[in-house]
Amino acid sequence: MPHCTPETLALAALREPLPAVDDAHLAGCARCQAEVASLQRGVDALAVPQLAAPGPAVPPPPAVWSAIAAATGVTATPRPDVVAAAVPAAPVAPPPVPPPPLPPPPAPATVTTLRPRRSRLLLAAAAALVVGAGIGAGAVALGDRDDDGLTVAAAALDPLEESGASGEARVLERGDGTRTLRLDLTAADLEDGFYEVWLIDEAVEDMYSLGVVQGGGEVTLEVPPGVDLTEFPVVDVSVEPLDGDPVHSGVSVARGVLA
Amino acid sequence: MSSHAGPTGHRPEPDDAEVGRRFAAGEEQALAWAYERFAGQVHGMAVRAFGPGPDAEDVTQQTFISAWTGRAGYRPEQGPLPAWLVGVCRHKIADTWARRDRQRRTAEAAVAQAQSAPATAGPLVDSAVADRVLLLGELDLLGQPQRGIIELAFFEDLTHAQIAARTGLPLGTVKSHIRRTLERLRTRLEVDDAALHA
Ligand SMILES: [Zn+2]
Repeated sequence: MPHCTPETLALAALREPLPAVDDAHLAGCARCQAEVASLQRGVDALAVPQLAAPGPAVPPPPAVWSAIAAATGVTATPRPDVVAAAVPAAPVAPPPVPPPPLPPPPAPATVTTLRPRRSRLLLAAAAALVVGAGIGAGAVALGDRDDDGLTVAAAALDPLEESGASGEARVLERGDGTRTLRLDLTAADLEDGFYEVWLIDEAVEDMYSLGVVQGGGEVTLEVPPGVDLTEFPVVDVSVEPLDGDPVHSGVSVARGVLA
Repeated sequence: MSSHAGPTGHRPEPDDAEVGRRFAAGEEQALAWAYERFAGQVHGMAVRAFGPGPDAEDVTQQTFISAWTGRAGYRPEQGPLPAWLVGVCRHKIADTWARRDRQRRTAEAAVAQAQSAPATAGPLVDSAVADRVLLLGELDLLGQPQRGIIELAFFEDLTHAQIAARTGLPLGTVKSHIRRTLERLRTRLEVDDAALHA
């Protein structure tokens, strides 16, 4: 088989699991192995626990501030009791949020949880990179009633990058409290794979799959009972390859925030 | 308590973003607020690297001193202040490792000389220690989104798929940025090796 792609070798240098076909090739190819090794020197230098995102806070002893004040000449002083408490102000590093309770998911939905975070510090930096989320909500009037119940939340879905996909989502609540998400998606037909609809938390870490949708059609999906939409307000549409892997592919084409 | 009292009885305090802007503008109170809010995180990192004691305290102290004197280098629009402080702290940790390494080699050389043994038995420099200082400097030169992406991979241990989901960037974009950044770090090391052996 041909050599692994340069991108795949970079992921190998990061020690990410590779598709089986790449694994098999790499095991027997000295050239690809050498490339991974040469990229790995940088990874090994920097991806060490001592340099990882901050873990538990430790209040520094008072002498540390004294030395800083002496060196900088700054006369404003931090309140010692606040420093000693060392409770990081939100949103620096709140304690890890426990995973949401798992309601019985309606088939064929699956529940996927990404690896638990170590810290939100860099997450805040990453938030600056989020494209498209959080705009356009509220384009749909709430309170409309139709056969499936009352519209309790809605989101306009905006395209991510240049996907060209867009749509509109509403959550309808029936008289018995059960909820559905009605999604009207405009997106190109896929040759391979399918679109999948997710409810994601704002940190983009935990998510529920609601089901599969076609581009260019309206679909009604059940919202798992017990899912708090204020905790999982992001409606996301991903492109999923036909690989049998239930986890979010990471490729999203449209996204919006329920309001 | 006055009518505008917050939980501590003081005037309402600015949020982190406002503290960041005032820090960049050189307002002294912002350094005190930043210390109140983030010194625990920074010191936690220093203690994780060196254990409690003078080395960790020195790292925390140097982090805030460098951050304050180098505040012109902080761009609030590029990211939050605590993330930038953590970046400065990484440099201080790497610098401390390098300093310890130099001290160790100096001491070993002195012992070797006293014993009339060749002083160059081992490698001249612990290469990982030197690499870290060099590569952290190279990371500082990266623009966004490359820098955020590689930091999530290196320091948050996220996979490329998780980074894509987190940032909303397409998977292919994340992969090609990772590839280019690792190549860039490799080139930086090669240039440095060539200079050492020139
Ligand atoms: Zn190969």
